[in-house]
Amino acid sequence: MDASNLDQISVAVTADVARVHVLRAVTAAVASRMRMSFDAIEDLRLAVDEACGWLLDTNPGASSLILRLLPLDDRLEAVVAVNEGGGPWPPPDVEQGLPWLILTALVDRLELGTDPSEPSISLGKRTLEPTAAP
Amino acid sequence: MSRAEHPIGSADRDAELELFGRLPGDEAAREELVEMFLPLAEYLARRFDRRGEPLDDLIQVASVGLLNAIDRFDTERDVQFSTYAAVTIIGELKRHFRDKGWAIRVPRRLQEVGLRVNAILPELSQELGRSPTVDEIAARCEASPEEILDAMEAVQAYSTTSLDSPVGEEGAAPIEVLGGDDPSLEILEGWASVAPAVKELPERERRVLYLRFFRGLTQSEIANEVGVSQMHVSRILSQTLASLRQAVGVDQKDPLRDERGADPDEP
Repeated sequence: MDASNLDQISVAVTADVARVHVLRAVTAAVASRMRMSFDAIEDLRLAVDEACGWLLDTNPGASSLILRLLPLDDRLEAVVAVNEGGGPWPPPDVEQGLPWLILTALVDRLELGTDPSEPSISLGKRTLEPTAAP
Repeated sequence: MSRAEHPIGSADRDAELELFGRLPGDEAAREELVEMFLPLAEYLARRFDRRGEPLDDLIQVASVGLLNAIDRFDTERDVQFSTYAAVTIIGELKRHFRDKGWAIRVPRRLQEVGLRVNAILPELSQELGRSPTVDEIAARCEASPEEILDAMEAVQAYSTTSLDSPVGEEGAAPIEVLGGDDPSLEILEGWASVAPAVKELPERERRVLYLRFFRGLTQSEIANEVGVSQMHVSRILSQTLASLRQAVGVDQKDPLRDERGADPDEP
């Protein structure tokens, strides 16, 4: 990718819902350093929450939950992953499911990783237009 | 009874003492005392209202305090029961907030920031014509961006409020005020197949989901429309999604749902 890759931030926590708040907080902290609206940050935070919950539910055998954040000029990319798959990933009929329904409404870009050994969900949220100052 | 003229405390000290004389053991006397002083409990509960806990819950907590006061009151002491009861009830209410609420658990500074953010968000959004950035909020609140973020996160930590509690204002939750048709029923049709638990959600939660996921409103727009703070919308959304996710998980993985934990809300 491009040079901004240098800015990639990775955080790993134990694969446990009780640790998800750390990833949520890191996401919000990074997003707030970009020109991201409060609404957008809240959406992203919910989305990370949902993505983590989804991965943890579908991959009970995983031991770590990983968040990678990549701040780009016009958007923040967030990838949430677990270190071990617990079944087919992406799950069958994924687009009929609740998590998909929720996530598509919260982010501008949604993609599921295709590596079944490291199930992942990739989210993208756009920042505000560069010159939106009043 | 002369109670009506003196809603707080009892007018008849002798009757009061007589009732206490029959304790412990006389259930009827105890009940009469409860009835006598319930207005005091309610009065005190109201003073703790508007802190995000439903008034009914507060009255219940205050009533527990009243019962404790009745059971522990010593008529030998040179203090009026109403005074003693008030102290006990307030103690119980404070403990309730300490255990359950962010009113005490969250550091004071953060609470203040949280309240200021709540107050400032609508006006700032209107001025800018869009949702503000954290930096913009921080500048207006005279707080650091870190403090704003901490306050945002702290709001989520306050997760013990039951989902169907009113916003802390006296009376009806905003959803009831709005009345009319309930378009959020659409979300039932849309989601019921993937998340049957959506049917069991209180109306307001359903409405917030509907506005966010069907109508595509932002959190600040929902806050406007439903008449609660944006922080509250955020809390409703994350708690509701978490509860739906949990319910779906239980349905899918564990037909014997009872065996699954009863601890959906980790801190």
